Amino acid sequence: MIALVDCNNFFVSCERVFRPDLEGKAVVVLSNNDGCVVSRSNESKAMGIRMGTPFFQIRHLVDNGSLKAYSSNYALYGDLSDRVMSILADTVPRIEVYSIDEAYLHLEGIPDEKIPVMCRELVVKIRKWVGIPVSVGLAPTKTLAKISSHFAKRHKGYRGVCMMDTEEKMLKALKLTPIDEVWGIGRKLAPKMKDWGIATAYDFVQRPEEWVSSRLGVNGLRTWKELQGIECIEEENEQRRKTICTSRSFADMIEDEQELSLRVSDFAAVCAQKLRKEGSAAGLVTVFLYTNRFRDDLVQYFPSLSLKLGVAANSTHDIVGTALKALKLIYRSGYKYKKAGVIVSDIVPSDSVQGSLFDFDEELRQKMDRLSAVMDEVNSSGTSVLRLASQRSGHYADGIRSEFRSPLYTTSLDEIIEVH
Amino acid sequence: MMAQEGIHAGFPSPATDYMTQAIDLNKELVRHPAATFYGRVVGDSMIDAGVDEGDILVIDRSLDPRDGDMAVCFINGEFTLKYLKFRPHLELLPANDRYPAIVVREGDDFKIWGVVTYVIKKVR
Repeated sequence: MIALVDCNNFFVSCERVFRPDLEGKAVVVLSNNDGCVVSRSNESKAMGIRMGTPFFQIRHLVDNGSLKAYSSNYALYGDLSDRVMSILADTVPRIEVYSIDEAYLHLEGIPDEKIPVMCRELVVKIRKWVGIPVSVGLAPTKTLAKISSHFAKRHKGYRGVCMMDTEEKMLKALKLTPIDEVWGIGRKLAPKMKDWGIATAYDFVQRPEEWVSSRLGVNGLRTWKELQGIECIEEENEQRRKTICTSRSFADMIEDEQELSLRVSDFAAVCAQKLRKEGSAAGLVTVFLYTNRFRDDLVQYFPSLSLKLGVAANSTHDIVGTALKALKLIYRSGYKYKKAGVIVSDIVPSDSVQGSLFDFDEELRQKMDRLSAVMDEVNSSGTSVLRLASQRSGHYADGIRSEFRSPLYTTSLDEIIEVH
Repeated sequence: MMAQEGIHAGFPSPATDYMTQAIDLNKELVRHPAATFYGRVVGDSMIDAGVDEGDILVIDRSLDPRDGDMAVCFINGEFTLKYLKFRPHLELLPANDRYPAIVVREGDDFKIWGVVTYVIKKVR
């Protein structure tokens, strides 16, 4: 049995922890740059607001007071996500963090009859400790657990936990699940499925194995088996590299911040390129500096700092920007630096990245992808010639719009809640 | 060209050797990190309990509120710091004669948000 724990309307729920008065009200969270809707409360869903709706189309609702909109506050969402994940990790033998708001629980060694009670306790505990509502889907495979969590979320009667433990329940759920909601089918395949007369997950598993493998190949077959309770999706990150490091000792020691920024930008850009090459994205960027430890006559300083990305990323823009932020925080003048490096970690498959721009701000995502692709192509000639402006100038333009950002309640002591 | 190395267990930091058993207030004051939040005191309603404006509250949401606990509550649109009194009916008691007790009534938008475990005061 495997469990998928999914935070309900995660970004909106994060905002509500510190604004309890927004419970029961229509709330949305906007993507980077306040472009479009990336998270909706049930009330705003009921108003007909869809995922990805451009902000300008709903601005009048905010102005007339019927809708509350927030800019993305990834520092807050990342922190609350860590809290949820740590509670899960303390409870079960092994968890697999799938995205900022989802994790699989591997339940080896826990007797089946104890699992639902344990999961229900988790739902209550996470709500109480962190303030976040979660749903749990239990099933024999990951693909089914995902479907199961949808049921747990949509139907109040489950009280947050849905267990798909009999053949009968499984078939019933498959009949009620539109094919485009199945994990692994996605937006690209959905129209084809319609052409083939497949409307639900149940229709899909009725097709013979040969039919599926000839049309959809290995991946389609995997989904087909998973839907029938045959486990085939392995833990995804294992064969991927856990960290990527790019560093270098300098021929001459470097004291100047501009000069260091240039080098660090280059290292970060190489890391980003490697991430894209292996189809992954990183959630954490670390920058470190070494002075020359063999020079007793000089003052020594070996700082390092890790910054979390709101959403795992692999674009040159994101990785370089974050690395430069970290550098700015650790750089001190008056030292002669001999070595610097960038490490990216918390690596996940890039297709599992959920949240802001990857899924919904399609235009921005495509722009980033195109930019990165062009850079990869030009740079693959061997000499790095194409760079972001920041790689040259050492300045990172942080011109992201966030008109309605909530305070950094958990990551900045200056912005904690006020208590009267 | 650049030297690129795959690192699997982090990189050695010369500072690691010195990070041993020093007192860690984070560990002492924060028993449940996943459930601990901080708040800033505004106003003087708890002044007789030694809680002044600007103090930092350590709030542990994992604890079950008990009678007499100091807690951060949310009532009608605002976070408030008060003592909890459960009997004979739910009341929020200030520690300052100039403030009345708040009786929580049905229909109030009310929630006990978290129990306060420590108050951090800057004295200089």
